[in-house]
Amino acid sequence: MAEKTADSGNQGFLGSINWLGRRTLEIIGELGAVGIFFAWGFALIFSLPFQFRKIIQQVYFIGVKSFLIISLIGLFTGMVLGLQGYYTLVKFGSEGMLGAAVALSLIRELGPVLTALMVIGRAGSSIAAEIGIMRISEQIDALDTMDINPMRYLVSPRMAASVIVFPMLTALFDVIGIFGGFLTGVVLLGINSGIYFNRIYDSVVLKDVTGGFLKSLAFALIVSTICCYQGYFTHMRSEGFGARGVSLATTSAVVISCVLVLVVDYILTSFLL
Amino acid sequence: MKKYSQETLVGIFVLIGILCVGYLTVKLGKMELIGGDFYNLVAKFDSVAGLKSDSSVQMAGVEIGRVTKIVLDTNDFVAVVTMKIHKGVPIQEDAIASVKTSGLIGDKYISIQPGGSDEILKPGDVITETESAVDIESLISKYVFGNVK
Amino acid sequence: MPEPFIEFKDVCKSFGNLQVLDRANLSIYQGEITAIIGKSGAGKSVLLKHIIGLLKPDSGHILVRGKPLSKFTKAEWKQFKRSLSYMFQNNALFDSLTIFENIALPLAERTRMSSAEIREKVMFRIEQFELGDVEHKYPSQISGGMQKRVALARAVVTEPDMILFDEPTTGLDPLRKNAVLNMVAHYQREIGFTGVMVSHDIPDVFFISNRVAIIENKKIAFQGTPLELEQCDDEVVWQFIHGQEVLQDQLTGLHSKLELERALKQELERIGKFQEVFSVVLFSVDSLEQIREKVGYIAAQRIFQCIGMSLRENLGTAGYAARFGPEEILTVIPQADSSRAELIIKEITAECSKQDLMKPQSYRKVCMDFAIKAGIVEVRNKMDLEEVISLARKHQKIIAKMECDRKRGPK
Repeated sequence: MAEKTADSGNQGFLGSINWLGRRTLEIIGELGAVGIFFAWGFALIFSLPFQFRKIIQQVYFIGVKSFLIISLIGLFTGMVLGLQGYYTLVKFGSEGMLGAAVALSLIRELGPVLTALMVIGRAGSSIAAEIGIMRISEQIDALDTMDINPMRYLVSPRMAASVIVFPMLTALFDVIGIFGGFLTGVVLLGINSGIYFNRIYDSVVLKDVTGGFLKSLAFALIVSTICCYQGYFTHMRSEGFGARGVSLATTSAVVISCVLVLVVDYILTSFLL
Repeated sequence: MKKYSQETLVGIFVLIGILCVGYLTVKLGKMELIGGDFYNLVAKFDSVAGLKSDSSVQMAGVEIGRVTKIVLDTNDFVAVVTMKIHKGVPIQEDAIASVKTSGLIGDKYISIQPGGSDEILKPGDVITETESAVDIESLISKYVFGNVK
Repeated sequence: MPEPFIEFKDVCKSFGNLQVLDRANLSIYQGEITAIIGKSGAGKSVLLKHIIGLLKPDSGHILVRGKPLSKFTKAEWKQFKRSLSYMFQNNALFDSLTIFENIALPLAERTRMSSAEIREKVMFRIEQFELGDVEHKYPSQISGGMQKRVALARAVVTEPDMILFDEPTTGLDPLRKNAVLNMVAHYQREIGFTGVMVSHDIPDVFFISNRVAIIENKKIAFQGTPLELEQCDDEVVWQFIHGQEVLQDQLTGLHSKLELERALKQELERIGKFQEVFSVVLFSVDSLEQIREKVGYIAAQRIFQCIGMSLRENLGTAGYAARFGPEEILTVIPQADSSRAELIIKEITAECSKQDLMKPQSYRKVCMDFAIKAGIVEVRNKMDLEEVISLARKHQKIIAKMECDRKRGPK
């Protein structure tokens, strides 16, 4: 404590070095906390008795309720890919490649990423808010006093459900996206439908598909961990308490998850290629 | 909305999800659920530039198999391509395998022209007659610099 | 004295720079209700949260049957924790679960009972706490009093040995407050749990508790039975209770009994020294019990309010008036002889007679009579307190009365 005040008294260069060091330590500490949080939450998925009902509920909440929005986004993404791809490819006279272009960009990249971003917006934010409100209204403490592990009760089912739901929503997104490309490419712009699909069959290999699913699994764990973590530790925030704390927690849950999804997407892509 | 129970909706969701996953992996990814539908053949090429594993193997424009492996033979410095061919398609001993391109900048594939021999290749046999990939770049440069007659 | 069930030994706790507990010592005995009272922010909830392990002491020990909590093995701790229930100040009901699910949660999550068994147990509590028709509603759809009962039902459904109540009555109206306290006392007798209750409701909470502890200035300033508390002369304790009662009597405009007794004693002492004079007036309301029974609590309260308010208006800050017995108000008017006291009484009579409650039309359903009486004693010589009061009782005469119009009878 005495050291700190002595250091912060130093102006200029040393002060900023000091700041850098403190921030680094803070970030490392935070990462460690998230890591432990993730490990606990994940391990408790497999604790007995298995929380089957609660996982179903969360699959319903995260998955079924996202079904329509994912279908809609998938459709339009596929359609716009078809449109853009056609006008780019037609310059090289290879508009027959449209199917491949649409399917590969969907399966490898857009499917997992856009699905993750949509689920963050729809379910991630409400996970953070729900757990945050439970925290500030002492419901989490209440669980604790009843000797019910709040991590197991609140976090684990959401993680398990995310792991189930994300690949499925991604697959749905991909399939509907390919259909969307079919709508613009074939129905609107008159490419032969046989060529469109044959191109897809020719160019997509299993590695693309498994790569896409690997990404969506990684995103599932990231999103559920970050959103639960932000809600769970709402009360530890220094800049806001109560309802304000919950709103800040929700915001940072969404922002951090989105950024992490894109960063991890880059890292995974560079490993998978 | 309350017409269907939560379980039913989750069930429908999971079903659709599995169908989509199945479509992507089995149909598009060509995951082999039941193996043994194919037999392997090997062909050596001087150059297979642009050919990838999982590229198509065609006969008369019909897909009859896939490339499974491309390696370099370090003795002769030629490319050794392993292909899997559908069991129902017999390949004659004097068939010619050539690396072709679909369209100007399209994917590379292997085209097999049937031969006239009575002898049919057995799994693991080598196709001796091969034609290497056409190097479009050198073709173009020849054309540009006027070496083509 | 038996061994305490739970004992705090020199427990210190700080949050950052703010020290909340400083070497607090407290004993809680099995099968009793212990009330913990203290000002807001004095650390009452902190004390409770230490018992259930939500907070850990910075130094000192919490002993459970003589064994420190910090030395508990994991299994012992789990077992101990399962024998406790905690009722949160704001109930902490799970707002995304129905009332039934809320009460069933501790059973469903930590026991392997079949759902039929759980249903049976929960329905028993739902009936016991008269929550029948809200079973399928959500906590936000029911009233505050019901939420309290749901929280209590959730606390007792596991049949715990000990229940910790964190301000179970805060924010409730007086009727509900009494209902909750009665409920706690009732079920405590029925189920026999050990209760620890943090409360503001002085003196109501004393009626149901076996022991009282007062937190003041980071320490336990007093612990003992309510009877011991009443006789406690400690300045801190007295001021604490006194402070609470002043707030309570804002409604009737009366002082607290303790305050009045102090004033009376003071005046009696002054008599001996300075040869002054003062008057004591004892008001009483005839058949107040009957009013309470037939008309209601509010009407009875109004009579006191009327006397209290007009007394205050006429006396200002000089005099003291407080409820003395269930039907009596005792007034001390310093430096006044009986003639001045009589004047004041006349004012009060005029004031109260104007009120609705002294008019027969106000009582449509019942027919009854009642009268307000007043007795004046002019104190010139040193006398006993009891002597003054019995003299005043003797001097009482009717100053206002209400008679039922017998001819018309109740409408």
